[in-house]
Amino acid sequence: MLCRVAEDIFWTSRYVERAIAVGRLVAVTWHLELDAGDVGEGDYSEFWTPLLGPEVADEAVERDAHGHPRPGAVRHYLTFDANNPSSLVSCIRGARNAARGVRESISSEMWEQLNTLYLSLAEPRQAVEAAEDPHVFSARVVQATQLFFGLADSTLAHNEPWHFVNLGKYLERAENVARVLTLQGHLLLAGGEHTQGGDDLVRWLAVLRSCGSAEAYARYYSLRVEPARVVEFLLLNPVFPQSVRFSLNQARRSLEAITGPTPMHRHLDMPSPAVRALGRLQGRVEHAAVDEVLEEGLQSYLTDIRNQIAEVADHVTRGYLRYEPQPGRLVAVARAAMLMAAQQQQ
Amino acid sequence: MIGATAADVGADGSAVMPAYDPSGFWDEMAEGPGRIRPHYAALARHLATLGPDEVARRQRAAELSFQSRGITFAVNQGQEGVEKIMPFDLIPRLIRPDEWHRIERGLAQRVRALNLFLRDVYHDQQILRQGIVPWELVLSASVYRREFRNVDVPLDVYTHIVGSDLVRDASGEFFVLEDNLRTPSGVSYLVENRRVLKRVWSRIFHDYEVRPVEGYPQDLLEVLRSLAPPSAEEPTIVLLTPGVFNSAYFEHAFLAKAMGIEMVQGSDLFVDDGAVFMRTTQGHQRVDVIYRRVDDDFLDPLVFRDDSLLGVAGLVASYRLGRVSLANAIGTGVADDKAIYAYVPRIIRYYLDEEPILPNVPTYLPTEADDLGYILEHLDELVVKSVNESGGYGMLIGPHAPQADRDEYRQRILADPRGYIAQPTLALSRHPCWVDDHFEGRHVDLRPFVLFGREVRVTPGGLTRVALRSGSLVVNSSQGGGGKDTWVLAE
Repeated sequence: MLCRVAEDIFWTSRYVERAIAVGRLVAVTWHLELDAGDVGEGDYSEFWTPLLGPEVADEAVERDAHGHPRPGAVRHYLTFDANNPSSLVSCIRGARNAARGVRESISSEMWEQLNTLYLSLAEPRQAVEAAEDPHVFSARVVQATQLFFGLADSTLAHNEPWHFVNLGKYLERAENVARVLTLQGHLLLAGGEHTQGGDDLVRWLAVLRSCGSAEAYARYYSLRVEPARVVEFLLLNPVFPQSVRFSLNQARRSLEAITGPTPMHRHLDMPSPAVRALGRLQGRVEHAAVDEVLEEGLQSYLTDIRNQIAEVADHVTRGYLRYEPQPGRLVAVARAAMLMAAQQQQ
Repeated sequence: MIGATAADVGADGSAVMPAYDPSGFWDEMAEGPGRIRPHYAALARHLATLGPDEVARRQRAAELSFQSRGITFAVNQGQEGVEKIMPFDLIPRLIRPDEWHRIERGLAQRVRALNLFLRDVYHDQQILRQGIVPWELVLSASVYRREFRNVDVPLDVYTHIVGSDLVRDASGEFFVLEDNLRTPSGVSYLVENRRVLKRVWSRIFHDYEVRPVEGYPQDLLEVLRSLAPPSAEEPTIVLLTPGVFNSAYFEHAFLAKAMGIEMVQGSDLFVDDGAVFMRTTQGHQRVDVIYRRVDDDFLDPLVFRDDSLLGVAGLVASYRLGRVSLANAIGTGVADDKAIYAYVPRIIRYYLDEEPILPNVPTYLPTEADDLGYILEHLDELVVKSVNESGGYGMLIGPHAPQADRDEYRQRILADPRGYIAQPTLALSRHPCWVDDHFEGRHVDLRPFVLFGREVRVTPGGLTRVALRSGSLVVNSSQGGGGKDTWVLAE
């Protein structure tokens, strides 16, 4: 398929998956706020501020007298702010614009689903509805976007375009789960001034719900929610579709379908840079145990995972979406020889 | 039911066509006040059972369907990239089998003759030598591509896709107003309008035997396959689009999808060693046939406009070598030039030795002394068109224009006689359209589509374009025109 088409499909899929993640995060945090009872507006910002992440500029969100972002403003930033490239509406717009450029390559059902959602978000009453009841609004958008993937699975032939949908979806999902754990990691760390028995449980559950994983967790462990198990479940579970490990395995399957198997008689050839980068990343997750992850430090482990996901996406872009020649084994050997020569001279 | 009248179908007061009056124009539906033409009787009867609310509801449902399917066009003027749905009127236009038969034969005749003309002017130029068509008119046309002199094209066919514009005058006779031989658009609306109308009017649809139009993309695919260079066993066919900001982008995507071919942009293609390739995720892939929806001028920056980013460097060289086929061929504009138009009846007689089945609209050329005098004296009665523009731009409608505009056109014609033509203002036929809460007559034309590969095939249907503004004669979508579905009735 055309590189340009592959790129637009890959990004349509990533934007849609991102919208799902943002939508869930908003809905779950809204519930956290409700569960916390009436503690005054300042305290709610404790739930919402972390969602902004470190990369958001101070002036992007309206703040109160103490400099805390207002919860309503954070919600708006995450849902309807067209200036935030990762807001719900921006994700849907991005997905729809990319899909519009390749509508002949995806199914009509997929395109109509996205286009209808996009048009419905453009209606003025949507912003009001979203401000009044973030839960209903987010749930509706999440459902509509999930339907998009359902349609992709059932209306596209499972060949190259579908594999690009899958690759985009699962790389984005792995990144999103790692990001949620980064942003909400503080909810998992016990202690702090709010520790009052049941309170913690609500927060830990919120982390699971942000990844759509609470029910599956309960069924899988049938044990009390514990932060360590939450981390294990979301990062390392091999069979649950929202875990990082599962997502990377799926991404690997689609990437290999795209690159094609390396034939036996070419056993001296290397897999492409994208396959190698994804393989390294998979190994980092596949061969990890949750205690080792925490020993290393959850945040630094997550940062490393996210950096490696970005690296894989970068190699996919250069190798398949941009039509750049890929360095092969001969280049690697030649470069290695140069490096050895340089080291001998030192 | 023969002899149904608007009066009796509208008896119950809730009817939507109580006193529709064609007011002196040829009306497609009504012969006179309250007299419905027989082939429209079933439609009128059904409409009479619906109240205005019901018609309005269906109109909204149709519009919503266009919106969510993204059947939109980008507006050329003003803000870039604004998408609009094509205004749509939900009352179908019906064409009788005998009327259609004549249109079909007339168009096939015309397209055959024009292709013989194109082959001739790019080879021996017999028709110019014999003075049937003035040679300076052809060779002075900006769209005559002298680079293609003596280049052979597959099957000797130049115009594989033609969208001719027909109109009816006050006597009810069909005329050809324009031949579009370059990259005519609108066929996707033909298919989509039908899809929507079938849903909106399923009951009426039942009462008529309407010839289907869905086959168009498959017919087009067959034509494109027939053009493939003989060396290509399983030819790769692509559609070349200028991109999402083009006003016909929806149509490009629609056709590519319906034919199951890749839709490419100039940047997706490159030429290597005389052959055209596309950049794919698996490396490069050879391209054999290009259905290009990019004008000649933008096809190849090495040959035509060097500022074009839409084309492919080297494409024309590959085409000349016969390594890739283009539909339509390059340089077809010389046969739909508005000045050449005046000679089409003579072209038909010359090559086919037949009388034209569909007449031309009388056309005056400022390059001929007699005509020039007539044009300048009758500017307030004539329509003046620039030969180099289309889409309803660069046009003077004499009877409706202010004196200042007429004076301006007088100067322009004198300065550039080759640049203009003039035609009498036709009283275009009208068709009832739903306006607010009732029916009003609006001027319409008809654009059928003709495919030409191994044989000529006229798709049984057409885009009926409507001048939605009251009294307006301009039907182009870029000028506020809308569309109607057109039902060609089976015999």
